[in-house]
Amino acid sequence: MNDEGASSETGTIDLGGVKSSSAVDLTDQIHQLPCCIKYNGPSPVSHYFKPKSTGIEVDGLNVKEAHFRGRKLQGTTVPLPDGYSGFVIGRKTVAKRKASDTNGGTTASWQMNAKFQNITFWNHDNLPSKEDAFLRALHLFDVAKALHKPVTAEDMESASNPEATATD
Amino acid sequence: MGSEDQIPEWASTPCIMGIDEAGRGPVLGPMVYGCLYCPISYKKTLSTLEFADSKTLKEEKREELFESLKADCSIGWAVDVIDPRVLSAKMLQKNKINLNEISHESAMGLVKRVLDMGYLLTEVYVDTVGDPDKYIIKLTERFPSIKFVVAKKADSLYPVVSGASIVAKVTRDRALQNWNFDETAENMHRTFGSGYPGDPNTKGWLEHHKHSVFGFPSLVRFSWGTCESYFKGGVEVLWEADDDDVSSRKTVKRQSKLSNLGFTGMKRKSEDIESSGKGRCKFFQSRKLEQLSHF
Repeated sequence: MNDEGASSETGTIDLGGVKSSSAVDLTDQIHQLPCCIKYNGPSPVSHYFKPKSTGIEVDGLNVKEAHFRGRKLQGTTVPLPDGYSGFVIGRKTVAKRKASDTNGGTTASWQMNAKFQNITFWNHDNLPSKEDAFLRALHLFDVAKALHKPVTAEDMESASNPEATATD
Repeated sequence: MGSEDQIPEWASTPCIMGIDEAGRGPVLGPMVYGCLYCPISYKKTLSTLEFADSKTLKEEKREELFESLKADCSIGWAVDVIDPRVLSAKMLQKNKINLNEISHESAMGLVKRVLDMGYLLTEVYVDTVGDPDKYIIKLTERFPSIKFVVAKKADSLYPVVSGASIVAKVTRDRALQNWNFDETAENMHRTFGSGYPGDPNTKGWLEHHKHSVFGFPSLVRFSWGTCESYFKGGVEVLWEADDDDVSSRKTVKRQSKLSNLGFTGMKRKSEDIESSGKGRCKFFQSRKLEQLSHF
């Protein structure tokens, strides 16, 4: 992470509060909408956005229904895989160091503001299904695990072929 | 909703039906299709019941007439209340359904409902929506055994349609009065006015209830052009479903500008909406996984 290469940017994300129970828990309150809302900031979501269960089930997913700006959205709440958490991060306000330090500094500092264990994703016009890109994106976790899992001595042993020459 | 408890004996004799709508133009609240039906032999009596186009009647008179027609055992009625959320959603979905189509489906739904209950409908009178000739073909194809009369101002020409207009109008007014807001924002009130965009009370209500992110409470028909003027200064929201018509409108302008600058790689609007995984291997592309080096 501390690569000083000319083209790379460095940044830090402070997840300090992850283990602490004091971290704000937004489980059941994270929604991914099928649109781009050109706004960043607080909004009275729970007063206007009212998901309701439909009783419909697709691919074992419980379908919910909500409306946003006149559009009917259909969505479902999915838990994040075991061992993973979602985080809401925000720019960290760092006390100014020397003025010379901040000149042209690209170092970004982030901190965890909240965490969550599930996410509700919404489609416009379509029922949610296992084929949705969002659910399929979670496949990456298994792929990454398979690629990066440390190789154990047993793995080496079972993979080594007695007829092959010893590894160099 | 309607008079569906018991099928009277006259159901098996030839019947006429009138269909009319209330709340087609308003920017808020449900649109209601109403129908009234009776045996053909009752037609003459019907014309003595003082039914008139509901718009020309005072509210109390409409209420009174509605109560008297409900009590009349030679008359049946039914309504289809189309929720404003349904209107907005259908008109704003990817394959947009226009209001005429929604209206046609509603009217035909009423015909089907009354037929299915066991009434022998032979003549149906409908106020025109869109092109009357096309409408009559559509109706006749769906219900070949019924003679349809599609006419402008049918609600003032045929008492059976006037009656239907009373059923629809009273139902719409009550639905609006008793509207339960889904939203729980503070300071919401029910001084809607008529719901027509020009009504000062309606204007005031819209102005008071607009929200920069959410637009309006879901009582409002977001698909109405009127809404746009209230969204000025509100937060912009981009939808994939609108990508086609917006880009086709703007492409020409964009292209000329881009070629002048020799600049390509302009982000398509859909890429604002979601990541694309463009340029990565298929696994990532099909999952729309993009690599972010900075954010």
